Amino acid sequence: MNWTQSMRKNVSEKLTWDHLLPSEQPIYVSSLVYSFGVFTLSSLVLCIVSGVVMAAYGPTWYQYSGVGSLFRSVHFWSVQAFFFFMTMHLVGQFFMGSWREGRAFTWVIGAVSFGISVIEAFTGYLSRGDFFSQWNQVQSKDAFNGAGIDGFLNILNNGQVYGLHIAVLPLVLIGLVGWHLVAVRSKGVVPPYQARANAKEGRRS
Amino acid sequence: MKRIRFSRDTLQFPQKDFDMVKEGVVSLGIITVLVVAVAAIWGAPYRPAVTNQQVALQNPIGIGQEVLGDLDGQGAIASYGPPYNNGWHGKAQSVQSFLGLSPQTWWGTPYHVNTAQADVLIPLQMLATASHNGALTAALHTYKTASYTQQQAWTTAMTNAMGKATVHNGQVVLPSGHYGPVALMVNDEINLAKSGLLSGALDRETNKGVYRWNVQNDLLFLQGQVLPGIANNINMAGGQWGINHDEQAYPGPWWLTPYTFLYQIPPWSTGATGDQTAAYSMGFLFLLLVLVPWIPGLNKLPKLLPVHRVIWRDWYQRLERTGACGQCPLRASCTQEFREQSQAHMGAAETVPSCYLPDESMAYNQNERHRSPGVSTLRTRTD
Repeated sequence: MNWTQSMRKNVSEKLTWDHLLPSEQPIYVSSLVYSFGVFTLSSLVLCIVSGVVMAAYGPTWYQYSGVGSLFRSVHFWSVQAFFFFMTMHLVGQFFMGSWREGRAFTWVIGAVSFGISVIEAFTGYLSRGDFFSQWNQVQSKDAFNGAGIDGFLNILNNGQVYGLHIAVLPLVLIGLVGWHLVAVRSKGVVPPYQARANAKEGRRS
Repeated sequence: MKRIRFSRDTLQFPQKDFDMVKEGVVSLGIITVLVVAVAAIWGAPYRPAVTNQQVALQNPIGIGQEVLGDLDGQGAIASYGPPYNNGWHGKAQSVQSFLGLSPQTWWGTPYHVNTAQADVLIPLQMLATASHNGALTAALHTYKTASYTQQQAWTTAMTNAMGKATVHNGQVVLPSGHYGPVALMVNDEINLAKSGLLSGALDRETNKGVYRWNVQNDLLFLQGQVLPGIANNINMAGGQWGINHDEQAYPGPWWLTPYTFLYQIPPWSTGATGDQTAAYSMGFLFLLLVLVPWIPGLNKLPKLLPVHRVIWRDWYQRLERTGACGQCPLRASCTQEFREQSQAHMGAAETVPSCYLPDESMAYNQNERHRSPGVSTLRTRTD
């Protein structure tokens, strides 16, 4: 098997412009629930942009300077928005049974992204450099130690926690979200559940 | 094994215009304006970290108790166990083991802390050297060369006395007793903390170098009594949903609510392995979330709940209007659409009408297009 040809074939079949940047969508896509996904993505963009600026200037800047505090505030509220819309998106997709008809893996990637986001946010809280960080670091160490994660992660090591927060976990999260988006676009938006025929018949009789 | 199942290409549904790029840009604009406005108006929570210096100035007895706990093994970290040490004289207090499983111990002691050495004896030796303090040097020598029984007698007497100590002009005043060199050692460490140099001495032990990324020993030093006391005063202790909320009226990491909830109820709130079992419980719940598509019952739940009728109400109203379902010749088999179909049940047809599609006689509005006639395709899939 020629791997290059196989990859080219798969990519050209799954990543068509109709899939990636559609200019049409099924008429059943008509609800506020569908906005939660794009709002989640927009919040994530804002998290990344504000986070990149904060990382560029460093922790002292965002703790003690006026402009730095503003960016820390933008980062804080964009994280709140990100989790709010992501939770609404997840709940909405659950009620739509969006794993149906070949979309189970799309759900899995989304759920794993949620889990990674929780860890990413936690390492962010520990990088604030204030009492909240201090207290939650000493509090959470027992859970990390007890679960056996101490072999890899010393939650009291700010160098490791900060590195995870600004580089490792964002890369993983961005990769998962990108994968999730491609999966959503290549499969299309899940169609509605079967309409209730008995209600229909009752109405028509 | 070959299995037959419905697969409906979403492009076979009637389509309407959609501008994905515009939607993304508008959404990003709305979120940016809202978030920046909220951030500018309300800012973000920030309570400066508590330093050893602050504590020593405001509560020198608290620092003294931490020093004694680190010195005599009664402190939480002194006898913690892995990953910091193997306990105090082999007796570990904080090793969690659930059903014989104790992964905490699998990695040894990678972040080793001997609290007596790291938090007390070495910082005091540094202080004695830096200040040419002969009395402190002599006290350290006396303590180190004394028997373990004698050391424990001094520290126990001093620990008991600390409960009756008072503070006058910032100095700890103890009732008279046989404290040996420990009284001077504790007093000098309190003074070291007051100067602001104790944190540096603690972090130097952790980092072994110039760059101080790791603040482990500094954080661990205050975690016994001082930090929990401060956290309790501002409702941030574990039993107060601590990690779940932030300063005052600011929203905290509310997405940790299920995890924090466990700490409010037995057995997680009371068991010696509460942290370990809470972590496993959350891991199990997360696994359930990930595997929803394959969990019988749970994966059919949204179909039973009427919420999807609200989400897709426009679509269902459209079907009501057009009578598409009532006219569907395969209504019975449509009801099984989300189960696997048998070959016999489906017959030889390669394509079948779908009751999802409205009558073609219906007039669509001008923005809608019908990609294909009212069919959905049956595909043979190899699993």
